[in-house]
Amino acid sequence: MVAATLRRLGTGFIPVAALSLLLLVSLYLMSAATQNSEQFGRIFFLLLLINVLGLITLLVLIGANLIRLVRQYRSQATGSRLTARLVVIFVVLSLLPVSVLYYFSLGFIQRGIDSWFDVRVETALDDALELTRLSLGERKKEILRRTEMMAEDFHLMPDESPVLLLNDLREQNGAYELVLFNRDMHVLGFSNTDPAVIIPALPDRSLLTQLEYQRNYIGLDNKLGEGLFLRVIVPVQKSNDLTGEVMLQSLYTLSDRVSGMVSSVESAYAEYKRLTLMRDPLKFSFTLTLSLVLLLSCMTAVWAAFFSARRLVAPIRALSIGTRAVASGDYEKILPLHSKDELGFLVESFNDMTRRIALSRDEVNRSQQLVERERAYLRVVLGRLSSGVLTLDKRRRIRTANASASQVLGLDLKLFIGKSIEAIVVDHQWLESFVSAIDKHLSGDEREWREEIKMSGDIGRQILTCAGTAMPAADGKSVGYVIVFDDVTALVQAQRDAAWGEVARRLAHEIKNPLTPIQLSAERLRHKYLDTMASQDADLLDRSTHTIIQQVKVMKEMVQSFSEYAHAPTLNLVPLPVGDFINEILDLYRGDKKIKIEAVLDKNLPLLMMDAVRMRQLLHNLLVNAIDAIDSAEGGLVRVGCHRIENGGAARVELQVQDSGPGIPENMMEQLFEPYVTTKPKGSGLGLAIVKKIVEEHGGSVQAKNTELGGCIIIRFPLDDARQKAVPNEASVNDVDNLELAMEQDLASAGRRKL
Amino acid sequence: MAQLALSCILLFQVATVSAGGATVTSIESEVRNNVHYLDARIQYGLTAPMLDALHKGVPLTFVLEIELSRQRNYVWDVTVAELEQRYLLEYHAVTQNYHVKNLNSGASFSLPSLDIALSVLGTIVNLPILDDKLLENEANNIGRLRVQMDIEQLPVPLRLLSYFSSEWHISSEWVTWSLQP
Repeated sequence: MVAATLRRLGTGFIPVAALSLLLLVSLYLMSAATQNSEQFGRIFFLLLLINVLGLITLLVLIGANLIRLVRQYRSQATGSRLTARLVVIFVVLSLLPVSVLYYFSLGFIQRGIDSWFDVRVETALDDALELTRLSLGERKKEILRRTEMMAEDFHLMPDESPVLLLNDLREQNGAYELVLFNRDMHVLGFSNTDPAVIIPALPDRSLLTQLEYQRNYIGLDNKLGEGLFLRVIVPVQKSNDLTGEVMLQSLYTLSDRVSGMVSSVESAYAEYKRLTLMRDPLKFSFTLTLSLVLLLSCMTAVWAAFFSARRLVAPIRALSIGTRAVASGDYEKILPLHSKDELGFLVESFNDMTRRIALSRDEVNRSQQLVERERAYLRVVLGRLSSGVLTLDKRRRIRTANASASQVLGLDLKLFIGKSIEAIVVDHQWLESFVSAIDKHLSGDEREWREEIKMSGDIGRQILTCAGTAMPAADGKSVGYVIVFDDVTALVQAQRDAAWGEVARRLAHEIKNPLTPIQLSAERLRHKYLDTMASQDADLLDRSTHTIIQQVKVMKEMVQSFSEYAHAPTLNLVPLPVGDFINEILDLYRGDKKIKIEAVLDKNLPLLMMDAVRMRQLLHNLLVNAIDAIDSAEGGLVRVGCHRIENGGAARVELQVQDSGPGIPENMMEQLFEPYVTTKPKGSGLGLAIVKKIVEEHGGSVQAKNTELGGCIIIRFPLDDARQKAVPNEASVNDVDNLELAMEQDLASAGRRKL
Repeated sequence: MAQLALSCILLFQVATVSAGGATVTSIESEVRNNVHYLDARIQYGLTAPMLDALHKGVPLTFVLEIELSRQRNYVWDVTVAELEQRYLLEYHAVTQNYHVKNLNSGASFSLPSLDIALSVLGTIVNLPILDDKLLENEANNIGRLRVQMDIEQLPVPLRLLSYFSSEWHISSEWVTWSLQP
C-alpha cells in the first residue's frame, strides 16, 4: 500500500509540480536571505534543508523512474524503447540550454561581486578612517592636556569641597562632565553640564586595571547614547597618599556634525570591510543558490521528460499491446481513450476495428454453429435411418458409413473408413455380390443407378435395394459417391408370406366348406344303400364311400394345417430356459431305438423371450422333419445343438438340428422354407414354412445347409440382454394355459410320429 | 530573613584557550534577600576567522545558557528554571574600541582593547537567576551553565561557511554547581 502511494505520488503530475513549486519558492527565499534580508536570514538553514530534502526526493523519484525504464528496456517491454528515446531527447534538449545559462551566470556572479571591490575605494576609505583618527587624535591631545592641568589644580587644592572646583574647571574648559573618584569607584564629586544628571558616567572597572600599566586613559565612547564623546581619565597625584589614588575623568562631547561624520566614515568603512570579508562566502552562497536552482530545473526537467514520455508513449504502447492481442485472437480488447488528438483518433479507429472484427468473428461462429447443428442433425438422422448410407470418395475409399449400413451388411464399417470398398470383401465373402454390383455401376460412370442385390451369407439370404448417386462438386465433376441401401429381405419375405397366407386362407375357406357336405353325403349314401344293395354292389359302395370319407378327412387335416399357417396366434412372450425346454421336448422322441437323439447344449444358455406354444411347434416340426429324412429301417442320428454365439458385436442363440439323412438337394435350397416344397412323398409341405414363420415371429433367422452328417437347419435368435436381465427365471412357467396347450400338442405330435 | 550564604565555589583549572574556545573558570552562587545571584568567570578565546570578522565590522553574539534543576532519585531531573543571557561583541574602527553589550539588559561597555573586552564579556557578577521560594529546601538542587557563540546571528554568507567550519563554533562544556536554599 505504501509502495502504491509512493508510486502514485511519484508518477502523478500534481505532487511533483507542487514539490517543484515549493522548492522554487524556497530557493527564492534563500536568495533573498543571501542578500542579507533579516526576515529570511533566520530561516536560512531551514530553507537550505528543505531544498536539499526536496532535491533528494526528486532525485529518488527520477532514480525510481530510471530503474523502471532500464528494467522495461532490458525485458524489451512494449514502448520502452520509444520512452527511452524520448527521455534522452527531452533531457538533452532541456539540459543543454540550462547548463549554458548556468555557466554564464556563474561567471556573472563572480565578476559582479568582484566589481564591488575597488582598490581606490578601499584606499580612500582607509584614508578617511585615518583622517578621522588623526583629527580626533589632535582633539584627544588637547583634551588630555586640559584634563591633566585640571588634575594639577586638584593636586594643589585642599581635600574639602571638590564640587565647586569641579564646576569651575568644567565651565572653564568646556567639558561635558567632570568626575573625581577613587580606585574603589567611590565618587568624590562630579559636575555635569546638565543639572538633571545625578549619576556620573563612571568608567568600567577594567579600565582602571588598564591605568595600572599606563599613566592615563583617553578614548572615544558613545556610552551616553547621545553621540560620540571623548573620555579622559588622569590620576590626581597626592604626594602624601599613594594608596588611595584619586582619578579625574572628563567627558567632552563632539559636535553633531563631527559625530555624524565620524559615524558615517565608521559605518561605511565597516560595511566595506564586511563586504571584503564576505566576498568569498557571498560568491559561495550565490553559487550555491544558483546551483540549487540549476539542480531543481534539471531534475524537474528530467522528471518532466519521464512524465511526458510516458504520457506520450502510453497510447502507442496500448496500441502495440492491442495489436498483439488482436494478432493472438483476442478481439475483445478495448483500448482506453485518453486524448482527442491524432493518437486518440488512432486508438478510436483501433477500437472500431477490433469491434468489427469481433462482430465478424461472432457471425462466423454463429454460422459455424449452424453448420455444426445441421451436421449433428444429419448425423442423428442418418444414425436413426434404417437405410444404410455409405459415402465413397473419388477413388472408392469409404469416407463415412452410418450405423444402419454396418447393421445391414453385418460388419463394422467404421474399421474400413479410409480403405477401399474392395477391402471389405477379403474377410467377408458374402459381400462380394454387393461390392461387385457397386463396382460395376461406379466403373460405368453412371450418375444415378438403382439395383436389387441378392446376397447369401451367415444370416441367410439377403435382398438389398441399392441406389447410388455421384456427388457433384461445384465444377460439375464428381467428387465421390453416395450409396443408399435397404435390407428388403424381410419385406420381400413378408410379401411372399402374406401371399401364401392369403392362398392358404382361401384354400381353407373354399375347400373346407364343400368337404363336410361331401362327407355327409358319402356317409348318407353308405348308410342308406349299403344294407339294401347286393353284396357285390355293396362292397363297391363300401370301398368308395370309405375312400371318400378317408380322403375328406385327409383333406380336412390339410385344410386345418393351412388354416394354422394362415392364422398365426398372437405371441405370448415369456423368458424360457432354452436348454431345459429343448431337453423336455427331446425326451418325447427318445422312444425309438433305431433313431438316436443326441443333444449338444451349452451349459449356461441364457433365458430367451419366447412363446412356449409356438416354440414347441417349431421344435416338433424340426424333429419330425429330421426323423422323416432318415430311413426308418436303417436307423440314424438326430443331433440337436444349441449355442450362444457372437457375430459382428451382436449376441445370438443358435439352434442346429442335423440329421443323418441324405441331405437337402441343392436345387431345393432356395425354396426350402416356402409352402408346398417337400421331398417327402406325403406331407403338406408346410412344416418348414411354419418353422420359418415362427422363427421370424421371434425376430430370428433360419437357413438350411448340408453338413458331413446330412441336412442341417440352423436357426438363430437374437439375444436382448436388457430384457433378459429384467425378467426373472421363474417366469418361464407362469403361463399354465399355454403349458397345458403345449403338452397336448406335444402328445399329439409324438403320437402322430408313432403312427 | 536575609541570609547570606556562599553555596559553593568551584574552581577550575584555567584551560589554555589559545586558538579559540570558551572555558568556565569559576562559578558560584549566593542567596541574598531570597534571590540567588550568580557570579562566574569565563575565559574566551577567539579564532582567527572570528577576529578577522570582528575587525571587519561583523558583531559576534555569545549566549550564556543557565539551567536550574532538581535532582531526584532513580528518575530524571526536574527543570526548575531556564535562563538565557545574550552578549554582543563588536569593534569600532574609528575609536578602535571594543563594545560589549548585554542584549538582555541593554547595558553596554566601550573598551579600549580586546583582552579587556573579553574579560568584561567573561565576567558575570550578581546575575539574579532564581527566587529562593521556587526551590524545595530538602531537595538537591543543581545549576548548570554553558556559553557558546550564536552563529545564527552571523550574516547569511558567513553563516553558510560557519555551518561547515569548526573554527566558527565556540562552545564551553556544561558546568554544574550545586544550589542550596
